[in-house]
Amino acid sequence: MTTTGEWVLLSYRLPREPSGPRTTLWRRLRRLGVAQLADGVVALPADARTRESLEWLADDVLEAGGTAGIWTARPATAAQERELAAGMAAARAEEYRELTGQAAAALGAPEAEQARTLRRLRGEWRAIGRRDFFPPAEKDAAAAALSALAEAVAPTGARVGSAR
Amino acid sequence: MRWATRAGVHVDRAACAWLIRRFVDPGAEFVFVTDPADVPADATPFDMRGAALGHVGGDCSFETVLRVHGLDDPVLWRIGEIVHEADLDDGRFDAPEAPGLDVLLRGLSMTGDDEHTLAVSGPLFDGLYEFTRRRLLLGREPA
Repeated sequence: MTTTGEWVLLSYRLPREPSGPRTTLWRRLRRLGVAQLADGVVALPADARTRESLEWLADDVLEAGGTAGIWTARPATAAQERELAAGMAAARAEEYRELTGQAAAALGAPEAEQARTLRRLRGEWRAIGRRDFFPPAEKDAAAAALSALAEAVAPTGARVGSAR
Repeated sequence: MRWATRAGVHVDRAACAWLIRRFVDPGAEFVFVTDPADVPADATPFDMRGAALGHVGGDCSFETVLRVHGLDDPVLWRIGEIVHEADLDDGRFDAPEAPGLDVLLRGLSMTGDDEHTLAVSGPLFDGLYEFTRRRLLLGREPA
């Protein structure tokens, strides 16, 4: 029998006005890479960190005059869990594709701009990685594009000589 | 005084414990609980849901402790920025030290209990304080 994993859910309801807390919450949820199960219900695979992150957001919602609850749950079927994971993987895949495109485009840029873009994209790569619970194939392509850009900025041969 | 926080200490709680012991209550004793209901009546909770010393208005608990206890040392506020980014990673501050600090604390939580994490991270934060202090004094990276 296939068993499904544990998920942590945040259910929330925020007053429509003011819109500030809604925008902030939306931005924070997006950064965490949650799956939106329904209006006002989001989910992440459960671990100590994801649970804590959602708990703090629940407190933010309460403070903004809304209602919020934290739940742990298992999808009743493996198919439902697969669908959830696939949705999250697709969202990350889109972000990796965007990163791959930007890294490839930077190869044609002047050297100083290449270095700046590389720094920014490496930060972006780490941010995506932190919310990437089900790594899609696009992750490898993004890694390769970043490596190619790094090679253009600091060729491996030169790096060995100049490092430290 | 006794202080209580959630078991499974990571960067924000380790930093808070160091801050409390160094700058608020030298005799601080720490209790680790898994359920907020288990906080002893005589203990002050921190970095827990519902605690006054928690995440407030987008700040991490370390920043809240600084604010609540009126600590205005700029070195501590700079460390607060690093802890904020290590814990929340929301890009509010430029703190390249943050990912490294986060990884070190997460690794510690895997190899020992919470007492061990505090015992090892205390001297780390002492060092971070001294480095940050010198950097602020010099206006550049100290040797």
